[in-house]
Amino acid sequence: MPSCSKENPPYPNTPRLTLVTSTGSDNKRTSGGQSDWSALMAKAQGGDRDAYRFLLKQIEPYVRSIAGRCFNRPADAEDVVQDVLLTVHAVRDTYDPKRPFGPWLVAIANRRIIDRLRRHTRRKSREIELAAEHETFPDARANLDTTTSAERALIGAIDKLPPEQREAIKMLKLNEMSLKEASRASGRSIAALKVATHRAIRNLRDLLKGKPS
Amino acid sequence: MKNTSDLIDALADSITPVRRLHPPFVRAALWLSLAAVVLGLLCVAHGVRADISMRLRESVFVVSMAGALATAVLAAMAAFKLSLPDSARWWLLLPFPALAVWVSTIGYGCLTNWVGMDPEGIHMGEAARCFATLLLTSVPLSIAMLVMLRHAALLRPTAVAAIGGLAVAAMTSFTLSLIHDLDATIMILLWNLGTAALIAGLASLFGRSTLAWIAARVMPALPPQLSGH
Repeated sequence: MPSCSKENPPYPNTPRLTLVTSTGSDNKRTSGGQSDWSALMAKAQGGDRDAYRFLLKQIEPYVRSIAGRCFNRPADAEDVVQDVLLTVHAVRDTYDPKRPFGPWLVAIANRRIIDRLRRHTRRKSREIELAAEHETFPDARANLDTTTSAERALIGAIDKLPPEQREAIKMLKLNEMSLKEASRASGRSIAALKVATHRAIRNLRDLLKGKPS
Repeated sequence: MKNTSDLIDALADSITPVRRLHPPFVRAALWLSLAAVVLGLLCVAHGVRADISMRLRESVFVVSMAGALATAVLAAMAAFKLSLPDSARWWLLLPFPALAVWVSTIGYGCLTNWVGMDPEGIHMGEAARCFATLLLTSVPLSIAMLVMLRHAALLRPTAVAAIGGLAVAAMTSFTLSLIHDLDATIMILLWNLGTAALIAGLASLFGRSTLAWIAARVMPALPPQLSGH
């Protein structure tokens, strides 16, 4: 039994359950109690799709009410509901219709809730959620480390190039200009730009490998 | 994650008829009859120990054998009962009285037989045959237990695997005592308590993952579109 549960688990024929779900079908369930669910599950074990769908729809709000008492975030509770439904599906052959359905379902729900609470605890012990005080700069973009170290190294190396090579690299490679456009913009010949680019790339290779240019 | 109503539709559409599990004690009896078959085959193949009629007159030996057998039976019943979702966890305690009797007689035997141990008491040939018997008993019984309890992977994996391991260990120890005449005290201690601790320890360490592995192969219960869930 998970410790988060402050009260006893609401078995289907207790009055509390009628407060949790107030659909029309509840009257039938609370009057018929678990025997309805038992009969539906027995039919589902025989392969009756409609009975099974009806049963799953009926137990869904009930399981959600149990999960809701253990998890604050609705998304977590919903995950548990889905886990419980999948487990019910996987172990449906363990249900004996001669026994009450409620304790069987509550036991499965408790197992899944405990599993998820354990997973939460494990994650909390390893991970820290970033809060506002963890941010170092008021500008949100300043906190994002988008520039990788390789990019930074390349930009630094380009800045160290001689001016004509730097200009050629910036125009032809960074700004993706054609040779003709670059020639027009800089007033240098195409051949001179090609030579400058070639030398710039060779220098960059040396610079990035750590050799002096 | 999918919408819950979509999940319900997918589950309902994929439902197939299932055979209800037999009551837990019937399934425990099935497993115990498998154990009886294994024990019978080993007795036929190897023969019971030569001094069995003499040993059966010793009350400590009889109590120890009865304790091991009772531990095996009660642990198997507890394992099958515990593997159901709505059974109380107190079933875990069921084999412990028998376990206490068994362990205490082993200890008593050790104290009284201590002087009886001589250097020729331990033979490697006998130890190797003993090991073969151990594997021949515990491996098929463990596999049968894991397959029969596969649905517990989703419910109480560690407790069920540990108590199932205790059942296998007790049954293995009973078989060893019936077949091999290992009277040296250290051997008794090693084989009985050692194998019991080893099997139960392995079961509780790896039981959870092994049950999940078996369940994934033998129990394709989830529809394929949800298997990655």
